[in-house]
Amino acid sequence: MVKVVDLNVGQEFKNEFDGITRELLRSYAKASGDTNPIHTNDAVAERAGLKGIIAHGLFSFGFITKLFEDLLNQEQDGKILDISVDMRGMVRCGDHLITKAVIDKIEGKRVYFNVSQTTITNVDIKDKDGNIVKQFEAGERGYITDKDIAKGLVHEKEVPEGILTYRERVATPGTAVIELFE
Amino acid sequence: MDDAEIKKNAEFLIANMKGMEIPGSAKVNVRYKTLVDFAKIYGITDPKYVGPEEQGIIACHGFANHFTVKALYKLLIGMKLIQDGKERPFLLNPGRLLHAGNEYNWEGCVDLKPGDKLNITAKWGDVWLVEENMILFAKLHVDVKNQNGEFVCRPIVSAAVRPGGY
Repeated sequence: MVKVVDLNVGQEFKNEFDGITRELLRSYAKASGDTNPIHTNDAVAERAGLKGIIAHGLFSFGFITKLFEDLLNQEQDGKILDISVDMRGMVRCGDHLITKAVIDKIEGKRVYFNVSQTTITNVDIKDKDGNIVKQFEAGERGYITDKDIAKGLVHEKEVPEGILTYRERVATPGTAVIELFE
Repeated sequence: MDDAEIKKNAEFLIANMKGMEIPGSAKVNVRYKTLVDFAKIYGITDPKYVGPEEQGIIACHGFANHFTVKALYKLLIGMKLIQDGKERPFLLNPGRLLHAGNEYNWEGCVDLKPGDKLNITAKWGDVWLVEENMILFAKLHVDVKNQNGEFVCRPIVSAAVRPGGY
């Protein structure tokens, strides 16, 4: 059971999701009622200048609410009062989505969080001679822009197959408020 | 549409939309299967949200996306204003609409259950223009009530419309 006395400012809660696929976005389109084809049809998305389908703006939001539902033991330990997000970066198939909530302040039984959702987008893996040994969707479709590079969002790291190039950016900053029962 | 017309339209909307109630309402019937299908997208397995129908379930919080998006499409696409004596839709080109953000407030709200019939109404809050890119931003305050007139959720939607869309 989560109680106010167990929580501290700066404490972090996190979930990660690695399964954003075209099939999942089709299921989300059906379940959410948002059937705009830029989320399900690559040809339509390309005509709209998007280079490929993008996740629905609110798709990622469900992982924030799930984080708090899990933290509150499905609201047995408290209630979710408010969640607010800005949608800044597109989320795409193959992205690794990391949802974090950090306690900003505690007032009585109310706990205030800063929330962020970060996407990790793999581009490609190169061998030591610079040859591409594996290319991901972002590399094939050219999702990474010069602006991403200029902003310092594109990084490299060693992986068993070679050097992985990836982009890391905050897609969804926001806030949340919960109220605990004890 | 030239820059002068875009600016004129933005000024008209800023002057006229703030506080304006959007006529009509959107209705959403909440079905058991829809709630379960929605929750399963996020890997939710707790019976409180995805259990058998006869045991009674409630909507997961993420389901607020479902009724908010449905209501937005219905209310915004149908909204009309009178500019220079002529009727015009709020959105001249719905393809220029962007969803910039959302706030969901559940304080004092009741749980959402299968069989609920939602009545959704909305009114405009702040409306402003970012002149750097001529994107028009607007806050939409939404009331979502069930068949008993009880609040289920109070979303505030941040909409952004690119030039040519307003």
